[in-house]
Amino acid sequence: MAYNPKTGKGLGSFYKADRYSFTSREWRGFKDTFYDFHRWLYLYGFMAAKLGCHPILMVKGMLRYRWMVSYLTAANVMDKHTMGLRGKELRYAQNQFFSVLHNSVIGVRDIILRDKNLRPNSRRAQKLREKTVMFDEMTPHHVMFGFPTLKFIDIAMFTIGLPSEVDQNHTTYYIDAIEKYGLAPDVCPEPASECGCAIVDDYPRVGKCYVTGSMPCDGSVEQTALMTRHFSDLPIFQITVPQRINEPEIQRYAVKNMKKCIAFIEENYGVKWDWDAFWENAKMYNESSECMVQKWEVNATDHPQVCGAALALQREYEFMAAACMDKYMLKTDRRVTKMMLREYERDVKNNAPSPKYRCLVWACPAHYYTNFTYWTQHCWGVTCVNDMECMLSYLPISIGDKEQAMVDLCRLYERMMMRSHTNGGYVNILDELWKMCERFNCNIVIMYDHVSCKNVGGLHGLFEDQARERGIHLIWIPHDVMDPRTVSRREMREAFNKYMTTVFREEPLDPTLLDYEDNLSW
Amino acid sequence: MRELKHLIYLESLLDDSNNDLVRKAQAEGKLAIGYTCFHSPEVLLNLGNCFSVRLRAPHTTSMEMATYYLANNSCEYARALLERALEGGYEFLDALAGVDVCEANNRAIENMEIMHIQGKDKDKFFYCNLDIPYSDDEDCVEHIEEQITRKILKPLHENYGVDISDAAIRAAVEEQNEISRILTEIGNFRKLPNPPVTGYEYAVLVLSSYVCPKYLIKDILKETLEEIKTREVDPKPNFRVRLGVVGSEVDDPGLIKLIEDCGAMVVFDRYCYGSFPGRQVIELNDEESALTQVCRWNLQNTECPRQCAAHRVQRRYDRVNQLFHEFNADGVIYEQMKFCTYWSYERTMAAQIMPKEYGINVLSVDRPYISGQSGQLRTRVQAFVESLEIKKIRAEQKEDK
Repeated sequence: MAYNPKTGKGLGSFYKADRYSFTSREWRGFKDTFYDFHRWLYLYGFMAAKLGCHPILMVKGMLRYRWMVSYLTAANVMDKHTMGLRGKELRYAQNQFFSVLHNSVIGVRDIILRDKNLRPNSRRAQKLREKTVMFDEMTPHHVMFGFPTLKFIDIAMFTIGLPSEVDQNHTTYYIDAIEKYGLAPDVCPEPASECGCAIVDDYPRVGKCYVTGSMPCDGSVEQTALMTRHFSDLPIFQITVPQRINEPEIQRYAVKNMKKCIAFIEENYGVKWDWDAFWENAKMYNESSECMVQKWEVNATDHPQVCGAALALQREYEFMAAACMDKYMLKTDRRVTKMMLREYERDVKNNAPSPKYRCLVWACPAHYYTNFTYWTQHCWGVTCVNDMECMLSYLPISIGDKEQAMVDLCRLYERMMMRSHTNGGYVNILDELWKMCERFNCNIVIMYDHVSCKNVGGLHGLFEDQARERGIHLIWIPHDVMDPRTVSRREMREAFNKYMTTVFREEPLDPTLLDYEDNLSW
Repeated sequence: MRELKHLIYLESLLDDSNNDLVRKAQAEGKLAIGYTCFHSPEVLLNLGNCFSVRLRAPHTTSMEMATYYLANNSCEYARALLERALEGGYEFLDALAGVDVCEANNRAIENMEIMHIQGKDKDKFFYCNLDIPYSDDEDCVEHIEEQITRKILKPLHENYGVDISDAAIRAAVEEQNEISRILTEIGNFRKLPNPPVTGYEYAVLVLSSYVCPKYLIKDILKETLEEIKTREVDPKPNFRVRLGVVGSEVDDPGLIKLIEDCGAMVVFDRYCYGSFPGRQVIELNDEESALTQVCRWNLQNTECPRQCAAHRVQRRYDRVNQLFHEFNADGVIYEQMKFCTYWSYERTMAAQIMPKEYGINVLSVDRPYISGQSGQLRTRVQAFVESLEIKKIRAEQKEDK
């Protein structure tokens, strides 16, 4: 534990109201501090190697795009998630988050090399664009399994999704832009900021075609309509995934639609769907899913290992942004799984102490506070053993059976982030929660109350009623997903503090984390 | 103008979902099938001895219970329906044909299902949530046909023995077409410079046709049509501008009354519960099954912003433009039920695109579910009417010069 009762110093001491970054680096003992510092240097070294060799493009990018500046604070992402961690937990988190940043840094490099806005007259950029498919966020890219010669770039993820998790105030400019345009402020800030980014023309143009989808929520569906208009000069395809994803009958339509998408890419890029490449990538997906399931299984025991955001965020990005096609991420999966199994065996053998409290995280999380579950762990001893956001499709793709593989491919879209739980009826989010509480032996649920979400909000009363019947503590944490001005990080913590002090009558493990100001911090 | 003979009676039918005609039909052994959205094909809920009732929650005041079960930022229409359901207001229904089209509507119906809002003796009652595709191609038609067959027609037949044959569907289409012809004929009077029917009256007539059994309302509508044909109009129109209303659910004619009280005449109604879409004739051929044709018609005629394919978005703008010119309107009110995400985006876009690309003046507003008494809304409509009037006067002055 990082709190020192003698000095009264704890993790909260690293925050200052007028600072964007932490006041200093944490001392974790020689071994862990050395490891942490070495990883910090490695990250900056990697960024310098991949992006520093394009200094002019980087400067041009930062002058042209507001979102690109947020990436300068990437190392802070690592720091805020690893703060207070020691030993194996620190290593799990470092590995998991580095794989996300590794993928992102390469993604940013690919963007600046291709972008028409930055390199309008470059033949090389033009040539690269000819072989690149632009994707919308929340449209998984697994369809690219069968197109090994093409590159895909998720433009919304790199401009809005990821930077909003890097810098909490990143999206406010885009939200204001679309609200000035006339959009009601009660809609979800995620699609709103993506639309705002289009309004101020802050999307890079890195490909020849644009693939979008029917999104998992009403706001995203409408964002699709606006983005389609924004990119109206490009050929566009919308993958329209059915809503009632539990019904086997919908697969017929889903497969037809997916085949149309494949035909669209074939036609526009003059390439052919390659089954051999598909099987190779499907195997990668299967292996990464297997690693994920192993993490879940270990976390269901008394000795959970890879917990909190290290578990959730890595899977989110691996599945959604990298489509499980990133070899480095898979390598990290293998490494972390191996490490996790070894440490688990050691914990069992040594009868290591279990977490004080176990909890599940449910519903859409706040992008601007991805390290919230680390805060609950350090402040109150509440460890998050699983998160709804990483409970994405995990069933394997059938290798060798082409017809079944198409159905399996559609299932990845149906069971992607958010849609997996918020679509297909209440059973996927309401009934599923009680099943997961039993499976992971949890009686506490951090229930993210996204104040602009009308989907999960539509079951608010039933969640309350049924949790009460089952004796489960639902701790509602309000937030506004990408707009910290509506509900600040401090207010989120306050909601949790209140529950812990009034219902559990608990004392904080680290009193310096109870209340501090971090409205400015990244 | 002299008041329409049946207006007061029709208004009274709108006071309660379980109105006189619904009760009469149920007493005659008919089955009441509730629905909320255009995407549940109305005509297929009127097969055999069934009749459709498009759900409303008139005179809603408090929505406390629904706000607990849904969320305080859920669309007020969905909350009002859930509140009414929890109060027992829909116990008369024999089935509820829901759609998974928007989050609020879907969750409202799921709440009703989990909390069993149907009457106690309704052991054959069924709920459904149709999966509605986002576009309108033939794959989508096939998909929706499968959904409707499995989730509506099959339970209707198995639970209640309803005739779901092709002939029964054609008969239901013919009955609905008759209603649509009458209402279209009445609606076309609004194209005249001095129409013999007001926007409010027309809204009452159209709404009645959605919430009452067709066979019982038909004669009243027919008689009203004859009355309007010979109705004497005031020598000078008592409105200053002609407006179209476009947007989400308007199941309260009080809103249209409010707009008309501000000196406007509502000449076309392109909103949910309005006549566009919903009161157009469905043309069937003999080569293809009636079910397929009805499904295709519904998908191709929906005006819901949920249809996010580029050609559907464009079609909606073009449609408003077409109605604007057809009904000689001076401006359009884009309205949105407060907290409706789809219409929030649609009206934002339309407020920019319609004036710039089509030259149509637009008032963009969000509004509460019960909005007939909204002072804020009245002020905005008055200002819009005045601005249009000034523009008209200036345009006339220019022409004179």
